[in-house]
Amino acid sequence: MKDRNVSVDRKFGHMVRTATQSHIELKPHYGPEDVKGISYEADRGNPGEYPFTRGLYPDMYRDRLWLKSFIVSYSTPEETNEAFRKYIANGMTDLRLLADLPTQSGIDPDHPFAWNSMMCGGVATYALPVYDRMLEGVPMENVVCELAHSSISNFIYFYSLLVALMENRGLDITQLRGNSINDPVRAKLVYASPDFPTNIARRVCLDHIEYSVRHTPKWRPFAPNGVDPCQGGMDAVRELGGCLAVATAICSDLTERGISIDDYGAMVFSLDAESDFFETIAKFRAARMMWAKLAREKLGAKTKKAMQLKIGIRTSGLSLQSQKPLNNAARVTLQILSCVMGGVNSLDASSIDEAIGLPSYEARVFNLDTQHIITHEANVPLVADPLAGSYYLEWLTSKLEKRVNTYLDEVEARGGIFECLESGWLNGIMEENRLRIQREKADGKRLIVGVNAFQDEGEEGPINGAIRGVAYKAPPETLREERVREVKAFKEGRDQEELKRSLKQLYDDTKDGQNVTRPIIDAAKTGATLGEVTGVIRLAYGIPYDPFEQMDTPTYVHQSLEDLK
Amino acid sequence: MHKDRKIRILIAKIGCDIHERGALTLLYTFRDAGMEAIYTGRYQTPEAVATAAIDEDVDIIALSDHTGSMPIIAASVLEELKKRNVEDIRIMTGGLISIDDAKVLDEMGVWGNYAPGTPLDVIVEHVKTLVQGNK
Repeated sequence: MKDRNVSVDRKFGHMVRTATQSHIELKPHYGPEDVKGISYEADRGNPGEYPFTRGLYPDMYRDRLWLKSFIVSYSTPEETNEAFRKYIANGMTDLRLLADLPTQSGIDPDHPFAWNSMMCGGVATYALPVYDRMLEGVPMENVVCELAHSSISNFIYFYSLLVALMENRGLDITQLRGNSINDPVRAKLVYASPDFPTNIARRVCLDHIEYSVRHTPKWRPFAPNGVDPCQGGMDAVRELGGCLAVATAICSDLTERGISIDDYGAMVFSLDAESDFFETIAKFRAARMMWAKLAREKLGAKTKKAMQLKIGIRTSGLSLQSQKPLNNAARVTLQILSCVMGGVNSLDASSIDEAIGLPSYEARVFNLDTQHIITHEANVPLVADPLAGSYYLEWLTSKLEKRVNTYLDEVEARGGIFECLESGWLNGIMEENRLRIQREKADGKRLIVGVNAFQDEGEEGPINGAIRGVAYKAPPETLREERVREVKAFKEGRDQEELKRSLKQLYDDTKDGQNVTRPIIDAAKTGATLGEVTGVIRLAYGIPYDPFEQMDTPTYVHQSLEDLK
Repeated sequence: MHKDRKIRILIAKIGCDIHERGALTLLYTFRDAGMEAIYTGRYQTPEAVATAAIDEDVDIIALSDHTGSMPIIAASVLEELKKRNVEDIRIMTGGLISIDDAKVLDEMGVWGNYAPGTPLDVIVEHVKTLVQGNK
């Protein structure tokens, strides 16, 4: 009988940290003396009032709930269209569009380099007819669309497809709503995007913004992204600091084009909802406050709108684990809760099966339902900024503000965010923090349940096993072959003369420093593909057509630039 | 192979997959474990990876991919190694690899196919075993 005795370890599972995820050291408790320096009027304000720390609207979520979104992009436009319809029926209010990985690199499916990742992570949206199929039957005037791609060529091209599609369907393009991330720093820092070097990316980014401000005022053509740098290793301070620095740099560029921050209107940041609950909430509050102060004091904003920061969220994909995937339900639920308590405007929550494959339908409906439960059963959004006044949270919000300001000063002293990118300094600090986190995990100073602590002994149970079984699978080679044949046939079936003229126009306008958005919209209507648009812009800058230098300039592209000289 | 020779390992990413954190994590893990680890960076071709493996005289190529296409990618690298008559270079993989994909890879002779979050010492041990078996 002796060996059936168990021993209880009172210390089992005890905390191993005293600092937040971003290494902000914490005391065991906070009190009035910790928040003494904070001015309610200057640093917080009521919800709906400058500096909007407590939220953008007086009635916050009673007025409008956050938009519920996910990236929906499966291997084919038909599957993706079907998915959009199902999720909209379940309460999705914001359509995040993406493309497969070759497209995000700036190449078409028939490029020799595309094969290994073709139709992975999304649709190969190489040309307008694919968008038409993908968005068939989806209303385009009253829906919010977000372009969540990685590279700058993608944002201007897919924005152009949306405009072209609306024009072709006889719709009013001023009713186009949503945003493009269109962040040239994130494109290089995190993705090393091969489509354009940074100087071209920055120009194309500005062309997209300028055209949109003048023609599609409800579209936010720029949403500095902290999510991906954060997933790449940046902490909350550098994530937020990076967004503020990029937004400042781009707003200054726009002034040179005659667009003031008041012309531009509300700013959108794409931020990361990380696992550290209070730090994440404090980050959202600090983000709104810091943008409002920066817009008014440094960028000369006069209108309320220009001081308002909208926050779009992607919850941390990196926090999800393939071990005991059921636990991801707890992670995502806490992240969603931090978003609602932090007053965000749109929310793309990761799915419990995302560490295993593309999210399945059921896992995503679970995400929507979690948000409905938080709203209707837990009553969380009834009151704006419900944690305001907490000594700890207020202290943490101000602490983040101070740290971010120190970081911004450092970036400024190094010549600004673009200089920090080009010099490799940004990459260096991202790597440094990534390594620090890796070592903490290895040393047991940062516990991830099921991964480096509380691992399962023995066989996996049926619930976790089922989650593992449902994740979406990458397309087989037969489907990829079919896609390549389709692209080749599409390219041959176009009116070659029309196409050549539109590519030539794009080439000339790129060279002449004209805004390239309208020529891209017109080219898209003649069937010009993403790879062709990217290649022609590259040629106009005197660099090879193909970002990977695996293929020559196609004959018809070469001819269009030569013949029409 | 000389007894004191450090294990040489090439971490490689092929195609347009952008997810890099796993590759970078292993780069430092292998170095910390006393190996010579080299990373190709993203956006590589199977040809370039095979060539780099020969030029760097590596024992193992560790392929990283998060698109779900690992069987296709591993097959393309195996073919390139075969063309160059260096089939003694072993391949292992990591990333978004389903249980079914791992079975396919095993059958192809690709041993050690790891999902995200696998304990790093398990991977390091596997590398050592793979190289020893190769001697």
